[in-house]
Amino acid sequence: LEVSQGAQPPIPSLLSPTVTSEQIEHLHRRFKQLSQDQLTIRKENFDSIPDLEFNPIRGKIVHAFFDKRNLRQESDGLADEINFEDFLTIMSYFRPIEMNMDEEQLDRFRKEKLKFLFHMYDSDHDGKITLQEYRNVVEELLSGNPHLEKESARSIADGAMMEAASICVGQMGPDQVYEGITFEDFLKMWQGIDIETKMHVRFLNMETIAHCY
Amino acid sequence: MEVLWAAARVGAVWLAVVLGLIVLPSALGVSLGISEAYMWVLVKTLEWATIRIERGVKKPWPLKTSTGNGIIERDETPMEKGIARLNTMDFEFSDIFYFCRKGFEAIVEDAVTQRFSSEELLSWNLLTRTNVNFHYISLRLTIVWVIGVVVRYCFLLPLRITLATIGIMSMIVGTTLVGQLPNSSVKNYLSEVVHLTCSRILVRALSGTIRYHNKENRPKKGGICVANHTSPIDAIILTNDGCYAMVGQVHGGLMGVIQRATVKACPHVWFERSEVKDRHLVMKRLREHVADESKLPILIFPEGTCINNTSVMMFKKGSFEIGGTIYPVAIKYDPQFGDAFWNSSKYNIVSYLLRIMTSWAIVCNVWYLPPMVREPDEDAVQFANRVRSAIAHQGGLTELPWDGGLKRAKVKDTFREEQQKNYSKMLVRNGSIG
Repeated sequence: LEVSQGAQPPIPSLLSPTVTSEQIEHLHRRFKQLSQDQLTIRKENFDSIPDLEFNPIRGKIVHAFFDKRNLRQESDGLADEINFEDFLTIMSYFRPIEMNMDEEQLDRFRKEKLKFLFHMYDSDHDGKITLQEYRNVVEELLSGNPHLEKESARSIADGAMMEAASICVGQMGPDQVYEGITFEDFLKMWQGIDIETKMHVRFLNMETIAHCY
Repeated sequence: MEVLWAAARVGAVWLAVVLGLIVLPSALGVSLGISEAYMWVLVKTLEWATIRIERGVKKPWPLKTSTGNGIIERDETPMEKGIARLNTMDFEFSDIFYFCRKGFEAIVEDAVTQRFSSEELLSWNLLTRTNVNFHYISLRLTIVWVIGVVVRYCFLLPLRITLATIGIMSMIVGTTLVGQLPNSSVKNYLSEVVHLTCSRILVRALSGTIRYHNKENRPKKGGICVANHTSPIDAIILTNDGCYAMVGQVHGGLMGVIQRATVKACPHVWFERSEVKDRHLVMKRLREHVADESKLPILIFPEGTCINNTSVMMFKKGSFEIGGTIYPVAIKYDPQFGDAFWNSSKYNIVSYLLRIMTSWAIVCNVWYLPPMVREPDEDAVQFANRVRSAIAHQGGLTELPWDGGLKRAKVKDTFREEQQKNYSKMLVRNGSIG
């Protein structure tokens, strides 16, 4: 295979065998494009994608690529740059479901995706989504509209947190403080709701077709 | 001494052959059929190569189906449906899902950056530069490839360089001579002859095979000709079949010499660098030119930059505010024989020309579309989009609303804020807020 930067890195086990080598090659080419032929990508490299500019949570998405919790490293914090293997690791969170998955695999799958999302909310990495962190996310989603004041964003966030609290903790006493949504609470909130089909990117099937001029 | 004489004789024979077989027919506008024969041999060879590649493959080998449209299934649901509420919560985590997915799709592949790199081929055309996916197949194929290299670099390249030199020289000399004449119909006629001849020589210098469709719609005097832009040789492709007044910035070097010479013979519109900044001045000069019915039609490329010929990007509205009749032209290159796209961030003009001259050929189709005029209730932007649709439709190119300037710059903030406003409006409407 034509890989100009030496041998291809080992494919993370989460991806194989459902991702073909062709798709890996495509992603590698895309990686090279984004990194401008360097071996690693930095945050600045994501600035060159026009489609991404439109995304209100662009910051959080890019951040997710460098979040060490997503990169399966035991350490915490943010990486400065990621290589192709890390890139593939993050991509693996968006695998579509396969037909032949059993219960346990499906459950693990779902947890992985929800964990990814949880990390996106939990920006201080303390394992809880606090009210302030939730407000941050809402504000980002609504940023850019001059007609919406900060107050509206806050009230949305507060309302959602209250709802979350009632699902997770039930009735709270008058002096009880809900500290934040833990990952278990997060899972509870999404029980029974199908998120797997919302959070995947499906590759087109590359068929063998010969062309003759 | 002997060697020098022998070399001189070979050189003279070479020159005589070139002049007789190529330059003279160009001047007279006839074709000796040499290019056609060459193309026939080329097509047969490539067909053979493709069959051998397929036969040589042991396991089913994924050849791409349509490379122009990307590798992932994009979710085209509009924002409203995508954020359908999953449960009763007012403001949803589900909005996060939607934007997350969109973000990932954009990161894996975006429709814009694709257009600034060369189109990928479905089957190999025996040029290593397009050899991105293809492996070693067989000895015979490799031998053919080696022969191809020899033919291209040792025979075609010197031939083409000779022709290009002759073409440019005659252009400069010819137009300077014609420029000495006083303004008259004779001068115009001679200037047309010179321009056409030199264009034809230059097209042959690139081994260009051009097919013109709908010649009855060819741009007439006093009109504006508008075309999609893929490379600097677009202008030569078009002037091969008619005379135009070029519009552009004054360059230095060889290009500047050509510009100064040709403007004496024919009223091309060259702008100094300082004048280009002043939009009103530019418009005024172009309007004056178009208003004069006896002047040749002007040639403009409204995309402003080279795109890789799989899509048509945003047309700048300036050309469409001048008035007059617009004659749209669609140019589509066949990438199998040579890649005409100029990736200006990767190659400079000299290496680009060398690549063109060491390809097999430049094959393209040119369609002249029926003239269009701006409707009274249309503004320039809508008119520009209408013309662009017509060109994209004819040439089989996709339309993108993006600005070609994105090759070098980032998305304008105003564009991004539009999108965010849309999203917030939707939240308000759904009663989530207030």
